[in-house]
Amino acid sequence: MIILRHLLAAFAVLIGMASSAFAGVYEDALPKFAADSYAETDAAISAVAGSGHPLSLKVVEAVRDGRLLVSSGQIIIREPSGNLISAVTGQAFGPTPSGLKPVRINNRVRRAIEAALGSLTLLSSDPAARLQAARAVFRSRDETALPNLETAITQETDANVKGALQIARAAVLLGASGTSTADRLKAVEALQARGDQDALALLSTLPVGVQPEVADAAGKAVESIRSRLAFWNALQNVWYGISLGSVLLLAAIGLAITFGTMGVINMAHGEMVMLGAYTTFVVQEAIRTYAPELFGISLFLSLPLAFVVAGAVGILIERTVIRFLYGRPLETLLATWGLSLILQQTVRTIFGPTNREVGTPAWMSGALEIGGLSLTYNRIAIVIFAFAAFATLLLVMRYTSLGLYMRAVTQNRRMAGSMGIRTNRIDALAFGLGSGVAGIAGVALSQIDNVSPNLGQSYIIDSFMVVVFGGVGNLWGTLVGAMTLGIANKFLEPYAGAVLGKIVLLVAIILFIQRRPRGLFALRGRAVEA
Amino acid sequence: MSEPITPTLLYLDNVTVSFDGFRALNALSLAIDHAEMRAIIGPNGAGKTTMMDVITGKTRPNQGTALFEGVHDLTVLDEAAIAELGIGRKFQTPTVFDMHNVEDNLLLALKGERGPFAALFSRRTTRERERIEALLERVRLSAHRYRKAGELSHGQKQWLEIGMLLAQEPKLLLVDEPAAGMTDQETADTADLLRDIAKTRAVVVVEHDMTFVRDLGVKVTCLHEGSVLAEGSLDAVSANERVIEVYLGR
Amino acid sequence: MTTQSLIDRQSIIVLSLLAATAVLVPVLNTVAPPGSALHLSDYLVPLLGKYLCFALLALSVDLIWGFCGILSLGHGAFFALGGYAMGMYLMRQIGSRGVYADPILPDFMVFLNWRELPWFWHGFDWFPIAALMVIAAPGLLAFIFGWFAFRSRVTGVYLSIITQAMTFALMLAFFRNDMGFGGNNGLTDFKEILGFPIQSGSTRIVLFVLSTVALAAGYLLCKWIVNSKLGKVLVAVRDAESRTRFLGYRVEIYKLAVFTLSAMIAGVAGALYVPQVGIINPSEFAPANSIEVVIWVAVGGRGTLAGAILGALVVNAGKTWFTGALPEFWLFALGGLFVFVTLLMPRGILGGGTDLWAKVRRSRTRHAPGGLPYAAE
Repeated sequence: MIILRHLLAAFAVLIGMASSAFAGVYEDALPKFAADSYAETDAAISAVAGSGHPLSLKVVEAVRDGRLLVSSGQIIIREPSGNLISAVTGQAFGPTPSGLKPVRINNRVRRAIEAALGSLTLLSSDPAARLQAARAVFRSRDETALPNLETAITQETDANVKGALQIARAAVLLGASGTSTADRLKAVEALQARGDQDALALLSTLPVGVQPEVADAAGKAVESIRSRLAFWNALQNVWYGISLGSVLLLAAIGLAITFGTMGVINMAHGEMVMLGAYTTFVVQEAIRTYAPELFGISLFLSLPLAFVVAGAVGILIERTVIRFLYGRPLETLLATWGLSLILQQTVRTIFGPTNREVGTPAWMSGALEIGGLSLTYNRIAIVIFAFAAFATLLLVMRYTSLGLYMRAVTQNRRMAGSMGIRTNRIDALAFGLGSGVAGIAGVALSQIDNVSPNLGQSYIIDSFMVVVFGGVGNLWGTLVGAMTLGIANKFLEPYAGAVLGKIVLLVAIILFIQRRPRGLFALRGRAVEA
Repeated sequence: MSEPITPTLLYLDNVTVSFDGFRALNALSLAIDHAEMRAIIGPNGAGKTTMMDVITGKTRPNQGTALFEGVHDLTVLDEAAIAELGIGRKFQTPTVFDMHNVEDNLLLALKGERGPFAALFSRRTTRERERIEALLERVRLSAHRYRKAGELSHGQKQWLEIGMLLAQEPKLLLVDEPAAGMTDQETADTADLLRDIAKTRAVVVVEHDMTFVRDLGVKVTCLHEGSVLAEGSLDAVSANERVIEVYLGR
Repeated sequence: MTTQSLIDRQSIIVLSLLAATAVLVPVLNTVAPPGSALHLSDYLVPLLGKYLCFALLALSVDLIWGFCGILSLGHGAFFALGGYAMGMYLMRQIGSRGVYADPILPDFMVFLNWRELPWFWHGFDWFPIAALMVIAAPGLLAFIFGWFAFRSRVTGVYLSIITQAMTFALMLAFFRNDMGFGGNNGLTDFKEILGFPIQSGSTRIVLFVLSTVALAAGYLLCKWIVNSKLGKVLVAVRDAESRTRFLGYRVEIYKLAVFTLSAMIAGVAGALYVPQVGIINPSEFAPANSIEVVIWVAVGGRGTLAGAILGALVVNAGKTWFTGALPEFWLFALGGLFVFVTLLMPRGILGGGTDLWAKVRRSRTRHAPGGLPYAAE
């Protein structure tokens, strides 16, 4: 019955299109609003939407917002400004009648409203509104919108909107009862080309009694969309993995210097990351107070400061504690653990035990859509930043004299010393460099993690796993280790869940280390043997 | 036990070890007889220590054969198994148990059960006591038996380590630079001791000190770049053109 | 050390102090009238009992770290496993007295809509099985872990880090509800143990005395091991692992044996701990707990056994005092302790004391005519 009525309405609209002055559908539909029945309201909305009457948009919007009022058979619109106008004439209404009651709506009516609005705004002058409307029609698959759709498609100039309109038309045609086989097949083709989750849902729930060739084509289309989606899904997982890997890389590269090349176990490494994050917090607070217009570049201002703060603390630690413990790795481990407790408690005393709010600059919010991928800008920024930091560090190690001295001291401390390298200073600087890098990692991590005194602890085990897995003393190993662990983690998560995935990975690394104690890219030969 | 493939005590054939492309041993072949003493010389990086690593199971060769007593394949056994077969090894830097006293160092080295449960329930027997006594005498550490090994002088540690090797009652001793860091007198005494030991078992000595090698008066093998450059009496080897060029110098 | 006797001066001191504690604490708690200066209040008995459990845990760490050089940063995991085994027994003893009054299922399982007991909970209502699991569960984990680790010769800091990762992974696992160990909240609300009400004063005193007995037994066991030739091999492994190997000892088997035994001792400590504190939850697996145990041992003096006990008692008493009087400063103090001990007191209280004593004695013997300088060592 409803379908029949819709068809009638559609017919009416077609006529209305042909001879724009055919009156009556709109006026006939209005009294149904007074019936106080959801079914009648539903029918009225469809009819109004299809009538082409200049007031129809206002009426449907009024129903949606509860501003369509009924009083003893009269249908009145309360405009957003508060004025009352007659729904029939559009003229201002006289004295406020008594017993005004809004037309009630339920979910079914709401769907009808959405569909009607979609179809009504298809011809809007704003392309964004048209796109929105096309999507709404796609979701509602309302047959009454078909005439408006056809008109819109012929008029449309924006390729993007036109595509959306055609998809919407295909969706409607596929579901409509009277569509010919050829039209349905075309619709299936169009939906397959769209190839997203919505198209998949549409194609896999065909209306009953559909032609067998159409069912066949739809089945194939579902197959093709599934495999395409699986591909995008895998890509999305790779991206999540790279993103997590970058976080791990950021947390671990500083450690790759202190542990990997100097052999110092710094359990307070995570606290260097934390100091970097708190530096960001302090910088942002200062900017908010003194120069709010600089907020957009607050992270860039934080980077050098975080490097200096964490680096200075690192050098202080090296000079006061670690240098007395060279060659005693287990003692270094314990002492630096103690330092990490002290640093945490210091920060807790100054900034309090709760999370501090670090803001995200506007340019880092939002997401980039590529095909079936959605890449958020803050993650993109972190990935780029992680790789930039890695490359910089690699260059420092390879081309600067500090890097050269560091490698010399690592390979043969005594020889380096006797060649005039001040090994003490190199130790301190190398430790400062590793800590400073941890500090700038903290700036990046403040964007995606809670800034609390425990921030560092959550990274320390992961960082060690990355460095050990990748192979100690090899920055490239750290990169590969971080990315492998990141991607493996994200691919495990859908099957095992986040926590279990992490456990599986930890166990896997434990087993891996036991098979290859020196990691993926191990130094071999005499140099290794102590 | 199957028939020995070779009558020699230690038999290395075509042994190659490479670390990331660097060939520490390059098709090395070597044979040591029962109760033979052999001195190995060669420049740094010639593969002397790697050779010992292969014999004692610390390093697995990429290819080649390493047989002990003609039947035991050393390339598949681990260090402990090889030690129990009767191969003892002295490191380049003396390695003793610093926190144990001299007597306990020897006790731990004495031939016997090596399992943890045997160790937990073991009591020192009279025979063990006598063995330790004799060994202390032999390496001249009787007066220091209750001192911690870590307190000994460098030379005494070398001797203690040799004593520990003897306590294992090995058939083959590998001795890496025993004379390093010793006084002249100690060097001469060490040579005496090794000659004495070699009467009953095979000894392979790696040494740079040519006087010491001359003192030993045994067959010499010169290694270079992982393979044998020359072999024979010290005079013959030191007259070899190539040996002079790469090792002894002109 | 020429004598292999278990009963040296240190043992006599440790054992008689423990015996005195086992007698004095119950007497002062029950006999001395409340209000008198000698009275030991009720809340102190389980607190002291808790310290003794920590001392046993420290002892197990000292056995492997002090004598075999294995720095385990995951011994809290073995302690917690022993605790969970005991906790499971205690949960089953609650029976229908729980909030949901299910005769079989513990409350948290009813809450999670579980229909039946998971297979690994079966048998825990019977004390002998639970007691066996207190030792077997940590022992098995240690055996499997050690079998992989020691066979592939993972040593030093690498080993420490993977032990830490092990306990971290277990913590994450035990936090999960579907593991079947009560998730976040762990196991608690115990009612009785072996038929005795768990909250009652006399039960607490019995548990306390049992803790002293366990500590004494653990001490004697460790002492026996370190005094035997096995102990000498362990020290040899600690000081020169490859030398030991080339002497023909299978180092990995020694490590595995002592690591497993140590885990079992830690499990017993955990099992005694749980009824005295009344709860076991996944935070016992936290890596920070395990590393704290190491500092107890370091404070008391690594490789001395008695030092481990002393260190555990001193540090925990300090912790109790600090968290009562100056809670914000406890982490500063603990952190500072880590730095101070490793930097300035590497041999701990007992080791430092022994050094001092040896110095005094040596200077005396030097003056004694005809004295044999080292014969008495």
